[in-house]
Amino acid sequence: MSRARDTIGTWIGWAFFADLANGLALTFGYMFSKPVTMQYPDQEKWLPYPRYRGHHFLKRDEEGEIKCVACELCARICPCDCIEVVPYEDEKGNRRPAKFEIDTARCLFCGLCEDACPADAIALGQQYEFSSFSSADLVIGRDDLLAKPGKAATGGGVVAARLNTKKDVLVETKETQGYNWWRNIRRT
Amino acid sequence: MELIVALGLIVFKVAFLIAILLLLPLPLTWLERKIAGHMQQRMGPMRVGWHGLLQPVADGIKLLTKEDHIPAEADRFLFKLAPILALAPPFVVFVAIPFGESVSVLGTEITLYVSNMNVALLFVFAVIGIEVYGVIFGGWAANSKYAVLGSLRTCAQMISYEIPMGFAVIGVVMLAQSMSLLEIVRAQADLWNIVYQPVGFFVFFVAGLAEAQRIPFDLAEAEGDLGAGFHTEYSGIRFAFFMISEYAIVLLVSVLVVILFFGGWNGVLIPLPPLLWFALKVAFFVYVFIWFRFTFPRYRYDQLMAIGWKVLLPLSMANIIITGIAFV
Repeated sequence: MSRARDTIGTWIGWAFFADLANGLALTFGYMFSKPVTMQYPDQEKWLPYPRYRGHHFLKRDEEGEIKCVACELCARICPCDCIEVVPYEDEKGNRRPAKFEIDTARCLFCGLCEDACPADAIALGQQYEFSSFSSADLVIGRDDLLAKPGKAATGGGVVAARLNTKKDVLVETKETQGYNWWRNIRRT
Repeated sequence: MELIVALGLIVFKVAFLIAILLLLPLPLTWLERKIAGHMQQRMGPMRVGWHGLLQPVADGIKLLTKEDHIPAEADRFLFKLAPILALAPPFVVFVAIPFGESVSVLGTEITLYVSNMNVALLFVFAVIGIEVYGVIFGGWAANSKYAVLGSLRTCAQMISYEIPMGFAVIGVVMLAQSMSLLEIVRAQADLWNIVYQPVGFFVFFVAGLAEAQRIPFDLAEAEGDLGAGFHTEYSGIRFAFFMISEYAIVLLVSVLVVILFFGGWNGVLIPLPPLLWFALKVAFFVYVFIWFRFTFPRYRYDQLMAIGWKVLLPLSMANIIITGIAFV
C-alpha cells in the first residue's frame, strides 16, 4: 500500500518537476552561502602545515655561529645536484662553509639534504613565496639562507596575506618586518 | 509642427531603446558571473572596480581592441553578415513592445511604446525568427566543424521550439481577443493570465529558454562539447554582437513572459509605479534565466526535439482546445 502510494507520489512529483525544483532550491541556497575563495594576494593566504617542505634555511647554534660544518654530504646526496658548498677554516679552527649556494630553480624539495646533514644545519622551512622572473635570482647564497624563515610551529590555517589585515584576521606578531612576521599571525 | 514633435519623439524613443539594449548586457554579464560564482561558492569578478563592477567595461574594451579575425576558408560575406543578422532582430522586436501606458512629462502625455501595432505578437514572432538565421549563417560561414555542428543543432532546435511557442500564446490571444500587446496587458488588469494559462506559460517559457539558447537548451553553443558552437571562429566585436544578441533575447523573452502571462505593468497588493512593477517582474525572469543556467545540465538535441514535439506541442494544442471550450 505504502509502496503504491510512494510510486504515485513519485509520479506526481515527476509531473510537477519536483526534482528540478529541488535542484533550483539547492543552487539558490548555495548562492547565499559563504564563498570558499581565499583572496590570496589581497587579504588572506594559506599557512602551510609544519611538515611542509618550502624554502631551505641554515640554522645557527646557541652562540649564533652557523651550524654547518661544510661536509658537503648534502651536496652529495642531492638528486638534482643543486647545492654547492665551498669550505674554509675559520679563526677558531672550525670547518665552515665559505660558499653555500642552493639553486632553487633546480631543487625538487625532497628534503634529502635535511636527512643527510650530520650537524642538523640545513632544513626545509615554511616559506613558499619566492617566485622570480629570472632563474639567476633563484640561486640563494649562505647569508640569505641564514635569514630565511624556519620550520612552522603550527600551520594548516588561513593567515593574512599582507600586514594591512582586514577585520577578522588577528595579527599577533612581535616583529612586523622581515621574513618572519607572518609566522605569528593567526586568524580569529 | 506637430508632425515634427511626433517624429522627434519617435526618434528619441528609438534612440533611448537602442541605448538601453546596447548598455544592458554590461550589467547583465556582471550579474551572471557574480551569480554563477556565488552559486558555486566562488566570488566571481573581484578585481576591476568595486566587487568587479567595471569588469564588463574591461571586457568590452578587450573585445574592441582584439583582432577581428576571419578564417581563410570562410565565406567572407556570410561571415560578416551573420553577427548583424543575429543582432538586429532582437532590437527591431522591441519596437512593438509596450513598457507601460503613458507618462506625462511637462504636461504632454508620452506613451511608453514606440508603436501600438494591432498584430504586435505576430510581428514579434516573425522578426525574432530571423535571428536564428544569424546563428545558422555564422556557423555555416565559418567553415569549421564545431561551428557547423552548432548550426545544425540550431536548425533542428528551431523547428522544435518555434511551433509550440507560437501555439502557446494562442490561449492568451483568445483571452484578450486581440494580438496587440497593449490590449493583452489591459485584459489582465483584474487577473493575470498565469491563473488561466499555467500550461501556456510553461510551454512558452521552456520554448523561450530554447529561443534564447540558454542552458538547458544552449545546444548551439555547448561549450562542453562544441568548443563555442556557432561562434567558435568569431572574435572581437563580431563575437560581442552575438553576446549582445543573446542578452537582448533573454531580455525579450522575459519581457514577453511578463506581458503575456504576468500582467505586464499591473501590480498586485503593493502600489508601485507601473514601470517599476514591470521592471521588477522582468528582472525576476532574467534572474530565473541565469539561475537555470547554473542549475541544470544541457539536454541532448534529440532530447530537445523529443521535448518539443512529444511534450510541448501536444500540451500547447490541448491548451488551445481547453481554452477554447472554457472561455469562448
